Amino acid sequence: MASNLEKLPKEKFAPAILDSSKSEEINKPSLSFWQDAWMRVRKNKAAVVSLVVMVLLIIMAFLGPLISGREYDTQNVAHANLPPKIPGLENVSWLPFDGEKKLPNGNVINPYEQKKVDEYYWFGTDPLGRDLFTRLWKGTQVSLYIAFLAAIIDMIIGVAYGAISGYYGGRLDNVMQRITEVLIGIPTLVVVILMILVLEPGILSITIAMSITGWVGMSRVVRAQTLKLREQEFVLASKTLGNSDGRIIFKHLLPNLAGVIIINTMFTIPNAIFFEAFLSFIGLGLQAPNASLGTLIDEGYKVLRLHPHEMIIPAIVISVIMVAFNMLADGLRDALDPKMRD
Amino acid sequence: MTRYLVKRILYMLVTLFVIASLTFFLMKLIPGTPFASANKLSPAQMAIMKAKYGLDEPVAVQYVKYLGNLVQGDLGIAFQFGNTPVSDLLANRIGPSIHLGLQAMIIGSIIGMILGVFAALRQNTWVDYSSTFLAVIGKAIPNFVFAGLLQFFVAVKLGWFPVLFWKGPEYTVLPTIALMMFPVAIAARFMRTEMIEILGSDYITLAKAKGASYFDIAFKHALRNALIPLVTVLGPLTASMMTGSLVVERIFAIPGIGEQFVKSISVNDYNVIMGTNLFFAALFVVIILIVDILYGVIDPRIRLAGGKK
Amino acid sequence: MKKSKFSLLLILTLVFSLFLAACSGDKSSKTDEGNGKGGNAGDVAQEIKAFDQSEIPTMDTSLAEGSTSFTYINNVGEGLYRLDQDNKPVPALSDGEPTISDDQTVYTFKIRDAKWSNGDPITAHDFVYAWQRAIDPKTASPYGPYMMSGKIKGAQAITDAASAEPPKPYDVKSLGVVAKDDKTLEVTFEQPIPYWADLFAFPTFYPINEKFVKEKGEAYATNKDNLLYNGPFVMTDWDGPSDTEWVLEKNENYWDIDAVKLTKMTFNSVKDPASAVNAFEAGEVDITAKLSSDLVQQYQGDDRLVNKLEKTVFWLKMNQTGDSAGNKAFQNVNIRRAIAQGFDKEAFVASVLNNGSLPANGQMPKEFVTDPVSGKDWREVNGDLIKYDAEAAKASWEKGLKELGIKELEVRFLGDDTENAKKTAEYFKNQLEKNLPGLTLKVESVPFAVRLERDNAQDYDLQVAGWGPDFRDPMTFSDLFVTGGGSNRMGYSNPEYDKLIKTSLTQLGGKPEEYYKSLLQAEKILLEQDAAIAPIYQRNSAQLMATKVKDVAAYDYGPDYCYKWTSVAAE
Repeated sequence: MASNLEKLPKEKFAPAILDSSKSEEINKPSLSFWQDAWMRVRKNKAAVVSLVVMVLLIIMAFLGPLISGREYDTQNVAHANLPPKIPGLENVSWLPFDGEKKLPNGNVINPYEQKKVDEYYWFGTDPLGRDLFTRLWKGTQVSLYIAFLAAIIDMIIGVAYGAISGYYGGRLDNVMQRITEVLIGIPTLVVVILMILVLEPGILSITIAMSITGWVGMSRVVRAQTLKLREQEFVLASKTLGNSDGRIIFKHLLPNLAGVIIINTMFTIPNAIFFEAFLSFIGLGLQAPNASLGTLIDEGYKVLRLHPHEMIIPAIVISVIMVAFNMLADGLRDALDPKMRD
Repeated sequence: MTRYLVKRILYMLVTLFVIASLTFFLMKLIPGTPFASANKLSPAQMAIMKAKYGLDEPVAVQYVKYLGNLVQGDLGIAFQFGNTPVSDLLANRIGPSIHLGLQAMIIGSIIGMILGVFAALRQNTWVDYSSTFLAVIGKAIPNFVFAGLLQFFVAVKLGWFPVLFWKGPEYTVLPTIALMMFPVAIAARFMRTEMIEILGSDYITLAKAKGASYFDIAFKHALRNALIPLVTVLGPLTASMMTGSLVVERIFAIPGIGEQFVKSISVNDYNVIMGTNLFFAALFVVIILIVDILYGVIDPRIRLAGGKK
Repeated sequence: MKKSKFSLLLILTLVFSLFLAACSGDKSSKTDEGNGKGGNAGDVAQEIKAFDQSEIPTMDTSLAEGSTSFTYINNVGEGLYRLDQDNKPVPALSDGEPTISDDQTVYTFKIRDAKWSNGDPITAHDFVYAWQRAIDPKTASPYGPYMMSGKIKGAQAITDAASAEPPKPYDVKSLGVVAKDDKTLEVTFEQPIPYWADLFAFPTFYPINEKFVKEKGEAYATNKDNLLYNGPFVMTDWDGPSDTEWVLEKNENYWDIDAVKLTKMTFNSVKDPASAVNAFEAGEVDITAKLSSDLVQQYQGDDRLVNKLEKTVFWLKMNQTGDSAGNKAFQNVNIRRAIAQGFDKEAFVASVLNNGSLPANGQMPKEFVTDPVSGKDWREVNGDLIKYDAEAAKASWEKGLKELGIKELEVRFLGDDTENAKKTAEYFKNQLEKNLPGLTLKVESVPFAVRLERDNAQDYDLQVAGWGPDFRDPMTFSDLFVTGGGSNRMGYSNPEYDKLIKTSLTQLGGKPEEYYKSLLQAEKILLEQDAAIAPIYQRNSAQLMATKVKDVAAYDYGPDYCYKWTSVAAE
């Protein structure tokens, strides 16, 4: 390193101007915290694309069931297990929307011709002959609700619990942590089965089931981060300035926790979506014939080799939601991080 | 430190006692008997069976007896398997689960950490995006799908690995890959965030200025600081992965404890549920303790013993 | 320097995982040796590998109740009779046909000279001990009292005495089975039993060596060493009910050893049907367990797919016992008929099951028993008793609602625990609600133990239930729904039906033509007149079997399969 320095040409160096008025000069427009954050999110192309995709998905979740012209629960077993077929795209041979399917033995058949079906099922049908396009977007609605719910529970209970436990420490921390250990130690399935016996299946019971232990992971991560941060100088400084504990937690600690909170939410959301599918499977989740992305994937997996569209399409949607959410969250995190301003 | 440890171990016993008691009473609230042939037995036979296993006594008496046996190390017998003692069942089934869980955990977190570091060093480039993409897909697609696809394409079509069972090192490869998607995703994501945060901090700038290499910065300075959230999440995750994965064990026909546990709950096999759960809970609280101690080791500024004044 | 530290960590981890992997490697050597083909030129190793869908719950003949247990008990054990390859009971340990008294109630058997796997001779006392053990309420045998009561003399009295409040003393020696000498067994029936040979082929009636049981005590039948064998095979590897791999080898002490061709069979429990199929495709196994319906479609037309029309029929039970709205409504015959006619069975088997199962329009399965008068299949004689008919269903529904004075009805549907449970529930909800306006089906899914309990307590409105036969006789189905019957549990009661069954049981056992007439009539009352249950389908099961495996006997009741005559052909 030292030798490199010597090779630098002299002309690269110029004396610094020691003018106090210049150094005080503001060379950027004054922006509020959120304006600044938004500006930086916009610069992140991946985040912007993700935002657009998310908005489109949400619109489709509500618009989709309306434009298909079919009900999500109408069974027509004569039209069971049809592959996707979309008018216009059916003649594009490389797209999988031609209403044909390849059997595991390699033969290609056209069930639409075999069963003499003239209608177009855009995303095909399931084993009971229900339109998968409608069911997919109905399911997306439910799964988005679940995702939203899981995030809220995480944010409110998990973050508060973890931050308080970590910030105050000592005996309070000890008691609070033992409580979470007990919560995790009791098998969820036993609790869920007991709930089946007491509650009606449906959105409410899903919500309750998730509220019981869904936030524990988040609280532990937040606690650990808080334990680390509370000993740092800026907390001490804030304290010296006479700020209350509440203000320190929310004003100073939370922004520094944003990173771990966002990532942990990313793990809670798919967990919640598949927890819901599991609840539905054992009868506590959605009442039949409702669908969610989780249950669609569960059911589709069983017929994966024969009717791959029944699993692949919902799997793509859930992956797109997750990828978009994460890219957006990464963008947001970078934008909100007080240390990363340029 | 010793005082803290002794205190924590005492708490641990209390926690386990509370978990055991709560689980016991919750389970007794579920109607039904653990006898699979319940509907074929006459009332007289049923009474004999219940008396034989002490299920005809008041729940409080059963509870005291259970705790008494537990203290002596007797977990009772597994109803669904005739007279097999639960301890034997656990001994037979827990091995493959622990092995698979640990292996997936270790390999998964190493791969994840490497992915995360590269993502952070090349923030907002294709490296970053594809690492994020990989991690997210690993979490968004349920692992039964991965397990099924791996089995079909790698084992059946390519014939690289055995399709089923748990009989030697080559049998562990596919289940490990299927199970490690989760730790890979977690490690990669947490690593990336922490690294980015740390790479922006003053002491890294200093290290850079002093001419430290990327490698040194990543693994000497940043890694240590990124470890706090990682051990927080990976610790308990290790506990739950070691107690078996229902789907991976089922798909690869691994004689582990995961599926056994779920089945036991649906058939009210009280003793198996209690035994397995206690094992899990004990493992869990021990790991939590280790994680708490690790905090102090990783970041000496963290003090757990004393409270905030 | 720093770099090497990191790679050291990596290497350590790899070594560690390899070490872990090695720990579990001990089992491989044991199983790999069965892989090789026969050493002699041209000879095919007579060994097969097969999967089962669960572990063996028990090998104790008195405690066994499921077809998995029965299958392995049948392959390593034997009774007085054995089912042959055509599902017919033929003498096995009985040396030829028994002498039968004129009133067809006393049977005297000569026991063949055969040996247990420990060398002890099999005697008549082994049978007496086994049967007394099975009927003894202390044993808690699920099948003992069920198979003996009302059939073997004294069995009912023993069960009654133990169930009395307070319990009365009983003596298992009063059971109608006596060892006249070491080789002569005398069995006394309450009345003539048309299907007596089937009973003696049933695993519950297999002999047990008393000395051995006493010696092993609680440990009896808990693993391969705590069992005695007298069938075509012996178990050489089985560590107990939780073991996932077990091995059967040819029994060198078996009396009919010349018929046995296989030398070794290795079984594994594989619960995921798709995984089992993958292993089959990879050539790791010769026979899979039963496939789930999605996989059956995949192999349609493949000659490795072996179909078996089971004699198990599924129906909807409509509970009339309790106070719930559904229970009360089901006391009305028109409501019951509306439900029974209100769903499309053809579409159900085609879409939800899609595994070759047949729609059922009667209680008795197809191809199970033949009417001695006409020589025709039972189903042909009695025809379709209750069929899908949306219009008729709607008419009876409206009539029923009017009689009850209600406009709407909510019925609880207790979900079942089969692989298709969820789709089944969705299908019935859709069909019944569409065809019967004003009906709401509330699906309740509960875990297995809770479901058993609710069935026992008769706390349900509607549930799918199935029944498979235990011997080849219509009675195995017909007596299910007598008043207070152990499997009724839905409060159905019709004195006329009860009388027909009782007469057939007690008086017509020796007169097959009248016996069938009476039972055929009973089925008509149950379905045509009372619509007590709503038949849905008769189950078909399918499995994959390598074409080189020949002559696996598949049974309609008791054990599922027998490998006594099985061989492996050259490919």
